[in-house]
Amino acid sequence: MELLNKMMELQEADGSVSDAALHKLSKETGTPLYRLEGLRGFYPVFRAHPAPKTHVRVCRDISCAMRGGNSFCRDVASALSGVADVEVEEASCLGRCDTAPAATVNEIPVSGSVEEIRAYAQGETPLPPDEPKAAPAKWPTDPYEDAAHHYGTLKSLLSAGEEKKQEVVETLKASGLRGMGGAGFPTGMKWDFTAKARGEPKYVVCNADESEPGTFKDRLILEELPHLMIEAMVIAGWIIGAAEGVIYLRHEYGKERKALTHAIDQARATGALGVSVFGADFAFELRVFISPGGYILGEETAMLEALEDKRGEPRNKPPFPTNAGLWGKPTLINNVETFAAVPVILSRGAQWWEAQGAGDCKGLKFLAVSGDVEQPGVYCVPMGTTINELLERCGGVPEGKALAAFAPGGASSNFLPAAKGDVALDFQALQDAGSMLGSGAVIYVADGRDLVELASNVVRFFRNESCGKCVPCRVGSAKAVDMLETALAGNPQQNLIPLLQEMGDTLAKTSICGLGQVALAPVLSVIENFSEAAAARLGGSNGGRKP
Amino acid sequence: MTEKQSGQKLISLTIDGKTVRVPEGTTIWEAAREAGIDIPVLCHSPRMEPVGVCRICVVEIGERVLAASCVRKCEEGMQVQADSDDIQQHRKMLTALLLSDYPQQSAREESTGDDELLALARDYGITELTFPDGAAGPEGRGTDGSSPVIAVDHQACILCDRCIRACDDIQHNDVIGRTGKGYQARIAFDLNTPMGESSCVACGECMAVCPTGALTNKSVAGLKIVVT
Ligand SMILES: Cc1cc2nc3c(=O)[nH]c(=O)nc-3n(C[C@H](O)[C@H](O)[C@H](O)COP(=O)(O)O)c2cc1C
Ligand code: SF4
Ligand code: FES
Repeated sequence: MELLNKMMELQEADGSVSDAALHKLSKETGTPLYRLEGLRGFYPVFRAHPAPKTHVRVCRDISCAMRGGNSFCRDVASALSGVADVEVEEASCLGRCDTAPAATVNEIPVSGSVEEIRAYAQGETPLPPDEPKAAPAKWPTDPYEDAAHHYGTLKSLLSAGEEKKQEVVETLKASGLRGMGGAGFPTGMKWDFTAKARGEPKYVVCNADESEPGTFKDRLILEELPHLMIEAMVIAGWIIGAAEGVIYLRHEYGKERKALTHAIDQARATGALGVSVFGADFAFELRVFISPGGYILGEETAMLEALEDKRGEPRNKPPFPTNAGLWGKPTLINNVETFAAVPVILSRGAQWWEAQGAGDCKGLKFLAVSGDVEQPGVYCVPMGTTINELLERCGGVPEGKALAAFAPGGASSNFLPAAKGDVALDFQALQDAGSMLGSGAVIYVADGRDLVELASNVVRFFRNESCGKCVPCRVGSAKAVDMLETALAGNPQQNLIPLLQEMGDTLAKTSICGLGQVALAPVLSVIENFSEAAAARLGGSNGGRKP
Repeated sequence: MTEKQSGQKLISLTIDGKTVRVPEGTTIWEAAREAGIDIPVLCHSPRMEPVGVCRICVVEIGERVLAASCVRKCEEGMQVQADSDDIQQHRKMLTALLLSDYPQQSAREESTGDDELLALARDYGITELTFPDGAAGPEGRGTDGSSPVIAVDHQACILCDRCIRACDDIQHNDVIGRTGKGYQARIAFDLNTPMGESSCVACGECMAVCPTGALTNKSVAGLKIVVT
């Protein structure tokens, strides 16, 4: 954290991290030059040369491409070409897919037409305020009437004492709460493993790196419910025996950072953080680490590498973080939404939580909805709500069009046909239907869209965000993008479909982490579920044009 | 297991049906070698800490995905399948992916004849490119002839990490690392300077461990070894 923080300070102060600055840093810290170059070259926030006065980043990923069109980034660039001191850069998903097409001007989020973004960049339109909401909405996972009651669950646990610890773990297990970051691992079990793991000190880490295309539900929680996440991290520290927590936050979440920092200050003032939490014999401190960028840092072991000032390349597993995490010590890592669900479960009980779900499903779920819907945004719904019900809540498909397909769990989840619209948004149900709940992002696709093009956009995202550590993902994703682009240009190579399937199999089975393992999945799901559309673009099931 | 201390707990597992007993902490690849089962590797070298990045050494251990045997530790009762049609297919695919970016000529193959990637390609009978050729055209990764001793062909680099471990972990010269990310990642010297201008002391360890034509000895490269 120290080294990367120093480099981020340099970047902030000088607009770049120059060779001269790195030579100096190398001497001061005794860090070899190659390591500093490794960091500068890996993380997108670092620049070897200063940025111009105005720096525009335009999202190129799926939800924004659906709203703004495939040439949106290029159109913004050409609208600003020749303008002095302005730079336009294509960026990966900015986490603001609800206001697609999304862009930032000097890190301030904006959205709108090409003309509107040009006007922001040239200072003709003042940039929108970048402050968190003053009066957040009331969400059903918040057990507190008002701010005066915040941290009440933590307070009563601490006053009840040690014997409550096992009860907390049992309640979490009974609630059926599962990880909301993508993998869906049972939360109670993870807390239990980390509590029982041997090694000192232990750490609590919150994964707030949300960067998967279509995903922005953690953003809302960070802005509107940060107290729940903080409270759960302190409770987790008490349960597993940790005194230190780190929130790993993506750097594009500026106003969310303000809301979070404010909430941490308040927690400290209330007594929920510090050397003696609410007067108990228990110390806990929290810090926020701002990610120097890249989707891969959301993979939990890549995140740990970044926190250890290394290139954010995922580790070979096992060992898992519960046993050997930050600095090799037992580390509890949960997603923002997972943590934020804990206070209400502990204060109202596992049965209350279970009963919030629809049918056999348990609990509440935050979902980020984008794509072809009237009202994109974050919705908190009963787990088990169907795809069609959610679509109705979001105002349906614009222009009265029919639904053609949907991706229920972010860009890495398989596309399913509209005919499966009665599937429940739930871990098991979606897995049975051939997709996954993943990162809690539902992307709706209307009739008339080119699904092969959309799926190729997602493969391109994975290519762009691959860390490059392992061969299948680094080379496989790049070759797949090359071949898909040639096909989309009208010249599919022979046997493309079987070749993609074979590659996909190797990537799924041999890649180190989840990124490479799913990199081709979206396009393979289109091949499987929309075979005619796929054949039209990729050259038939036996592939290619005859020579 | 000469390098392992004696007195360590022994565990047993099966590899391709053979029962093997090894000290706790042994990797699957090491255990297989003990049992006379050869698992191919590219990034691994027994002299170094394994990194598990090329994935050529993958084996089936009954999990959701395959395991890289060079880094994966043996566990009691593990049933390892080190060879099958599927595994061969994956190894062949990985080799084919690397070959599609490989230069026409490998300085190692041309001189000492021991290019490990080309040897794998022969083993898997890969004779033509399956994927778009990444070595042709102007976007190639280029060469660096600035060092008086070591020839660098970035296009032949497969990012196996061997030179990096040799330079930093074995020799403690701390010159070589990786820069860039994803498909743009490459090895770099110091702050990505040409090798000849870097703090390289030309110890030669990197070119000795390199499995491909990426880092070779200038005085040997260019000489053709004629096999009679
Ligand atoms: C490529 C990749 C990216 C990921 N990104 C995130 C992320 O942004 N946020 C997150 O919470 N989990 C992310 N995950 C999942 C984490 O590795 C990890 O499973 C999760 O943070 C654990 O918390 P949970 O059990 O509460 O879900 C990602 C996984 C992969 C493979
Ligand atoms: S699968 Fe991709 S992102 Fe994951 S470790 Fe390998 S190269 Fe990096
Ligand atoms: S030899 Fe095991 S991954 Fe390369």
